[in-house]
Amino acid sequence: MAISFQNERLRKRRMRILKQNAEAFCYLLPATLVLAVFWFLPVILSIIISFTNWKGLDTWTTVKWVGLTNYFNVLQDAEFHQTILNTFNYVIYSVPLTLLISLLAAMLLNSQIQGRSFFRTVYFLPFITTWVAISIVFRYFYDREFGLANYFLKQMGMPRLEWLSEPRGIWTMLFSTIGISIKKPILAGPSLAMFSIILTTIWRSIGYYMIIFLAGLQNIDKTYYEAAEIDGASAWHRFLHITVPLLSPVTFFILVTSMINSFKVFVPQLIMTPSGGPDNTTTTIVFHLYEKGFQGLWLMGHASAIAYILFVIILIITLIQNRILGRRVHYEV
Amino acid sequence: MPLPASIKHEKNIVFVSNIAIFLILVFGFRFLGWKGILVYAGFLALLLFTIINVWQRPRNIKDTITYQALLIGGFFMVLPFYWMFITSFKSYKEALAFPPTWWPTEFHWKNWVEAWNAPKGNIYGDPPVPLTFTRYFYVSIMVGIVTTCGSFTVSALAAYAFARMQFWGRGLFFYIIIAMMMIPGQVLLIPNYLTLAKLRWLDHYQALIIPWLASVFSIFLLRQFFITIPEDLWDAAQIDGAGRFRFLWQIVIPLSKPVIITAGIFDFLGNWNSLFWPLIVTTRPEMRTLMVGLQAFNQDAGSDFHLLMAASTFAVLPIVIMFFFLQRFFIQGIARTGLK
Repeated sequence: MAISFQNERLRKRRMRILKQNAEAFCYLLPATLVLAVFWFLPVILSIIISFTNWKGLDTWTTVKWVGLTNYFNVLQDAEFHQTILNTFNYVIYSVPLTLLISLLAAMLLNSQIQGRSFFRTVYFLPFITTWVAISIVFRYFYDREFGLANYFLKQMGMPRLEWLSEPRGIWTMLFSTIGISIKKPILAGPSLAMFSIILTTIWRSIGYYMIIFLAGLQNIDKTYYEAAEIDGASAWHRFLHITVPLLSPVTFFILVTSMINSFKVFVPQLIMTPSGGPDNTTTTIVFHLYEKGFQGLWLMGHASAIAYILFVIILIITLIQNRILGRRVHYEV
Repeated sequence: MPLPASIKHEKNIVFVSNIAIFLILVFGFRFLGWKGILVYAGFLALLLFTIINVWQRPRNIKDTITYQALLIGGFFMVLPFYWMFITSFKSYKEALAFPPTWWPTEFHWKNWVEAWNAPKGNIYGDPPVPLTFTRYFYVSIMVGIVTTCGSFTVSALAAYAFARMQFWGRGLFFYIIIAMMMIPGQVLLIPNYLTLAKLRWLDHYQALIIPWLASVFSIFLLRQFFITIPEDLWDAAQIDGAGRFRFLWQIVIPLSKPVIITAGIFDFLGNWNSLFWPLIVTTRPEMRTLMVGLQAFNQDAGSDFHLLMAASTFAVLPIVIMFFFLQRFFIQGIARTGLK
């Protein structure tokens, strides 16, 4: 009697847990379905596709397994080397500049002045506007014949620049004015065309990172600054020994996310320099993927290999950042 | 703590004189070039001199420098918008004038109508078709609203399960979803394209909507908020005879309105502004979203910058208007992402 009673209780308990699980899975079902088909499955599928010679709208029956051929092809492609250099140039110049300017803007806005919210709105506005419209406006802005950029140069008595159709690197151009010529492509820096795009992306993303920095700055306890001021610390020392360490988690977050986003850049290049820019100097990795996969040849296998190489690059960079910088991040106790 | 009247008065003088000096920079540069910047520097030095020697308040020096830096930065932030807006009313000739004009000699209101109705070619090189921006707006708004509402429903259900329900594999499942946020979208692009082709969804609304119905970011954001809702409320609701779904619908969701609006804004914004995905999954011109349509128009119009600027302006306008009404949620949502 006692045993059957216990069994009965156990059975009821089991039923309750089962019911709970069933209910939870009903709630999760729609999300799981979409995520499984359009997020989880593709991750595996694209590895498989990258090992085949898939072209266009082939089906499984007509494609052949080609092993690592796609990866070898991509890695030996001189065009791809150029896109890697372009992308790294883009990331190396745009990320630190964006971070510095947005931190500066956040610190300026973190003071007690009139019109703070006005400035915040103005700086944030570019971020919500679409890349397509921005790129069109900046294509006009950088136009050789009637762009505002050349108008400013003219006002300052300087010669016109080609902006979006200038293949020479910015350092090559700068040093050639004082008679030094740079031969190595790595030292030349991004081409002026790419640098114009970098300036545009900086202009667009300052507001976004500024808001995050601002939230971080406002999170810092004011009493630290007051105490330091009483102890006679200068403004620079207060910045170095209070702001920098206490802002480091936010900075680290911004660094990682902006780095990842910058590696995936594509739209401004597509619109401002639709053919890949002068001497292909604005073709980024994703742009290259788009050209190979969705224009002309429809080389799906090849494009998937490019996507995975990009993924690995991003992963390695993120891991390195975590190893080197993650340790120095100062979390408040 | 209110400031004494005299200091407040002084602060206003600093504010106004800073704006005045900045305007001297803008107009000086416009008419004098380099010399204009010298004039500006002169006036700025004069202001600082006054502050140091007459008022003797270091606070005002700091404010002046902050204002000038913010105003110069703000000028460059606004300039492209101003330029876009003002060029959209210029004539073809005036838009291509050098040196450019800062104010149109004559307002061509018709530019907007012309840009709206201009025939658009195909991005893949087909001949132009008589499509207006009405169609593009219709597709974009339609897709945007359906995706945002659908994504809200799907994400809220999943987030609720993660936050308040016990089930097998909850932790593991949640980690998988978090890990998904790190995968670059480009990896998913090709298989997703092939899946949609297999389902014969290319060039249909399904292709633009269904893959975006579950937003990992929204699930995460909502789950983080749902956790903070006290368990007592659920007990009370149970006593009153409410089931889980009713509790979610009538108590949890109204309580988390700000987070839901934030998530909704980001869903809608991402959808409205996205170019890559709609560019790939649609080939028929009448299925283009606004962004793809704008890009197609950009390729056709070449140097018709007056029309391009008009089209850009009305493509940007809905989002800018939305931003002014919902600014608080934008700012809060972004500020939240950086802090834990």
